[in-house]
Amino acid sequence: MSLTAFTVLLGAWCPQESQQGRAKVVEQFGEQVSSNLIAWGIADIYHSPWFLFLIAMLTVNIVVGSFKKVFPKLRTLNVPLPFLTNRQINELPAHFQVVLVADSRSVLSAVSKNLKSAGYRVEQRSDALTGESGKLGRLAPTVTHIGLLALLLGVTVTSWTGFSGFQPVALGEDLSFTNSEHSKLWIGKLPTWHLHVDATRRENYESGDAKQWYSDLTAIDNKGAKLKSGEISVNNPFTCEGVDVYQSSWGLDHILVSFNDRWARLNLSPMGGTYAAFMALDEATVLIFSVRSAVAPVKVFAKTAHWPEPRILTMLVQGKPVDIGSVKVELRKVVPVTGLQYKCDPGLPITFCAFAFIIAGVLLAAVPHHQVFVKCTQLGGGLTALQVGGFSRKAKRAFEQILRRILVKSCAGFDTAPTSGGDAEGIEVATTSGGETCPTSN
Amino acid sequence: MSDLQLVLTNTAGISSVMSFWAFVSSSASKRWQSLLLKVALAIMVACFAALTAVIVARGVEAGRFPLSNLYESLLWSAWGVIGGYLLLGRTYDIRHLGWMASLTAATFFLYGSWLPAGQHEIKPLVPALVSYWRQIHVPPLIVSYSMFFISGLAAFMHLWQSNCRRSVAYAALALSAALAAIGLGTFMDVNVFVLQGLFVGGSLIGLGSAWIALPKSETAAEDDKAKLYDEVGHRSIMVGFPLLTIGVITGGLWANHTWGTYWSWDPKESMALVTWLGYATYIHLRVHHEMGDRKLSLVAIAGMLLTLLTYLGFNSLGFGGLHSYGKFKSEVTLPAVYHHKSLLQCLASDGAICVECFLVSEVSV
Repeated sequence: MSLTAFTVLLGAWCPQESQQGRAKVVEQFGEQVSSNLIAWGIADIYHSPWFLFLIAMLTVNIVVGSFKKVFPKLRTLNVPLPFLTNRQINELPAHFQVVLVADSRSVLSAVSKNLKSAGYRVEQRSDALTGESGKLGRLAPTVTHIGLLALLLGVTVTSWTGFSGFQPVALGEDLSFTNSEHSKLWIGKLPTWHLHVDATRRENYESGDAKQWYSDLTAIDNKGAKLKSGEISVNNPFTCEGVDVYQSSWGLDHILVSFNDRWARLNLSPMGGTYAAFMALDEATVLIFSVRSAVAPVKVFAKTAHWPEPRILTMLVQGKPVDIGSVKVELRKVVPVTGLQYKCDPGLPITFCAFAFIIAGVLLAAVPHHQVFVKCTQLGGGLTALQVGGFSRKAKRAFEQILRRILVKSCAGFDTAPTSGGDAEGIEVATTSGGETCPTSN
Repeated sequence: MSDLQLVLTNTAGISSVMSFWAFVSSSASKRWQSLLLKVALAIMVACFAALTAVIVARGVEAGRFPLSNLYESLLWSAWGVIGGYLLLGRTYDIRHLGWMASLTAATFFLYGSWLPAGQHEIKPLVPALVSYWRQIHVPPLIVSYSMFFISGLAAFMHLWQSNCRRSVAYAALALSAALAAIGLGTFMDVNVFVLQGLFVGGSLIGLGSAWIALPKSETAAEDDKAKLYDEVGHRSIMVGFPLLTIGVITGGLWANHTWGTYWSWDPKESMALVTWLGYATYIHLRVHHEMGDRKLSLVAIAGMLLTLLTYLGFNSLGFGGLHSYGKFKSEVTLPAVYHHKSLLQCLASDGAICVECFLVSEVSV
């Protein structure tokens, strides 16, 4: 577990090639260090053999630990608590003694009543009783380990049968699943239908920041028949035949511009709040097409090596040609692109159940499990020595306080012995102060 | 930020500082101790009430759940620390932990107030955050962090009461190094490797020294106060751990709902997993009695450092990832230039277009 944690820590520290690309690793660490990190597998740690080995070891540990240690303990749940002797109670972490002027039956009955009202399940015999609360908390390891095993099962099912992928799709184009990613031991099947992007748009706040991205999608089978259509947005996926499609990102893809009636496609790249296309005219001069949105005019700049800053030439509006020198330039279209993430995850229901079990398990772990042992010893002369002890692995002090309160309440109806002392083996007798029953902790 | 919010935030911030001094003064004067403790506690309750009010007011003003950037999360963290202390204080006599809890809350306020103005403003949410999952995923995490901070503070008190003063000093040095790294990373332009070295190196050296400085024998008797703080630390972890689990799992569910994957090895996700594994180790060691109480307290302090790294370290120490708390540093993005040589060659081959054609018609806008 420690080695896995350390490995994950390394993966969090070092940018991962599979997520951020090799360029990011080189940018962060420089050529020399990054080449070492790549060679040692740290830059792609989650696919490295030694990480997979650690995960395999952890999996074996969880499976073996669950069946060898955790699940067998379930049997002890139904085993009743033993009735302890005076000496055994004295050895418990929390224990109290008091001598009362009463018979043992009525003392036990009072303690039993108070334990029950405090939520304890009580088992009683003539001179002793046991109480137990929070027994449910003992199920915590079992429930958590069931969750962990279910998680392993869910991930395995997904790995063998599921697939996923990401594809930026420009407006009017199709998403197919042919380039999906899946594991080497895959036995699943890719869909034969494809998705068509009918429309895609961005909704803005008044400030101009993106509020939401939308895409209208249609699933079309290989014969051209429409299977299903729907609108997706971020946090609102589209599902068709077990495949979920997510609105992952959004942007402007390219502009179609004509130069003297020759159409050209200029690809856009994101530049902070805007997009830009660059067209080199010669080695020292570049034309820059700056696009803010799909509907706003496109600004055209020029930059030469001699100019400190780009200079604006004109602004293009769709369908309105502009003459720049002897060149007629016309903007035909600004084409958006929608980033579609998709996946098929047949193991998901099992994984969700696993999550529920794990959450339930750790919540149960917070429930304190208390065991209380009570013994009454008839001392003669109408006196009864009451001995109470208990055990809790969690919240020991709080348990001690609860035990003390129960004892005080239980003794409230009886007179306590006027003198200290006792004749039963293992019993220390607490005296009273100010006429009130006052159990003391040893 | 509205005036009401400003007043409430200032009230909460100032009262956290006042309660800190009241707790400190109570230790200095035995005669007035009882009164000063009551005053400190009352101020703390006022601080908690003001914090609750400011969170509600911010939510009403923003028209959304007020937990979307670093500043708002700091308000929640302070709320969690104060609330957690007050809650534990109902069961346990932990008055000597009060000054530490107040100081932690005051530090959150100070850190939050130094953040750029953009962090204090209510800003619209990016599309990925517009989801009901935000209010399910984030609060359990922030409150779990608060509980882990309390457990770390209780661990300090436990070691102190157990007469492990040298260990306390070394652990405090480790914590100071971590806080210094976060502070420098947030407010100054320092090389990230220096910051990461300061955080990780300081933590390892400090905790390692604290471990070595522990008494060899764990059997030495501990007084009631030491046992009390040990139990408070354990209890805090037993509250924080389920919350962290819920936070991590609901984060996975949200990611699955948004991006179709419940785990993507994002640095923050990975770090949350490391923190979870750290506390799972603590619980296992505790349940199976495999380690003495003092060593477990050092594990709890190590857990607090992991929590700090997860919560604040990853953004301020340059780890990046999907979980940013909004910008608190200026970023410069350099454009990549795309050359359309083929187009240029195609157009120029007609002889109808040339560089000069474009440049003669420069206009000013």
